[in-house]
Amino acid sequence: MDDPIAVLIQNTATQDRAAFRELYSASSAKLMGVLLRILGQRAEAEDALQEVFTRVWLKAGRYDASKGRGMTWLIALSRNLAIDRLRQRSDHVSDDDAMAAHADPAPRAETRMIATGEARRINDCFATLEPDRAEALRGAYLTGLSYTDLATKFDVPLNTMRTWLRRSLLRLKECMGS
Amino acid sequence: MSDLPTITPEFELDLLAAEYVIGLLGLEERMSVETRLREGGDLAERVAEWEHRLSDLNDDYAEVPVQNLMPQIEARLFPAALVVKRNLLSNLWAWGSAAAAAVALVAYLALTPAAPSYTAILTADAGNLKYEAVITQDKLTLTRVSGTTADASHSYELWVIAGDNPPVSLGVIPGDAESITRPGLAAGQTLAITLEPLGGSPTGKPTGPVVAKGQLIAA
Repeated sequence: MDDPIAVLIQNTATQDRAAFRELYSASSAKLMGVLLRILGQRAEAEDALQEVFTRVWLKAGRYDASKGRGMTWLIALSRNLAIDRLRQRSDHVSDDDAMAAHADPAPRAETRMIATGEARRINDCFATLEPDRAEALRGAYLTGLSYTDLATKFDVPLNTMRTWLRRSLLRLKECMGS
Repeated sequence: MSDLPTITPEFELDLLAAEYVIGLLGLEERMSVETRLREGGDLAERVAEWEHRLSDLNDDYAEVPVQNLMPQIEARLFPAALVVKRNLLSNLWAWGSAAAAAVALVAYLALTPAAPSYTAILTADAGNLKYEAVITQDKLTLTRVSGTTADASHSYELWVIAGDNPPVSLGVIPGDAESITRPGLAAGQTLAITLEPLGGSPTGKPTGPVVAKGQLIAA
């Protein structure tokens, strides 16, 4: 299988602690990038990273390699945990602060080059959307902004934002060939 | 509207999956989706499809180097690894995360001189769930006396509460084991078990109801 991360997850599912450690070495920097981008604070991101790997150990058996790459599964698990934590924060930082915290470095040059070919399809499809709606969807995905956050940021009523983005999602799905 | 196809229930399901994956939903809606996802079915499949469909966006996440947190992760997962060695202690404090503090607290307690034995009976306000905690030397052994373990989508998590301090997690109680071993604690402290999402509290603080609790007393 041409997906070493997937193999490590599958071995982790058999209680193989060596594979689990190797999985951490191979994926923790990427997952830390995800958690830090969404949570904005290093200490909290590190705590979340521990929680992510706790869940990976417990849930590895549910990973199905036929449904997607190993790294996609790990990132989905990390994003969900980070967004849940973000929503649970009772003391919301102001939107401006949240934006500032999310302004992290762009991917390194080599990452960007590798990404170019793979990302073209989704970028082409984003290009068919109205620019501000594409930006809103991308921002929501990458930094965990909710409908409410986006409505404030773009200064439109919540329902308007919701209608815009739902319509954009349908267009995106159609463009990407369902 | 004009370019929007008729919204059938199936369409709604697909949009809900997309909204969940992208992260547009508020806390309550997210929790409701996550409850449905544990049951599998159509929604879970659509979520997996959207995760795959949007996965190229993941290239935008930069890698951020992080210190090796594996010792803390293993301490959470594997009870035997929770016996923290002295030379790790300073590092743990320096790292400063809540989990490290929790491990360090347990380690501190473990380093106090061999104490007399304590016990606690953890009982439920309603129902027959009952755990017995016995501390001998520096080990705490938790045994389920009656009642059932958490269902497949939840975990029981053990906490210690000393005085007015916030609860400190002692880790998830393995669902398939009758007993676990932990370094020792002290009389007068309260042990409590809460119902948490699978894998334990996502926040480091209890998020679910207390299912059993009891106070440590000298045996």
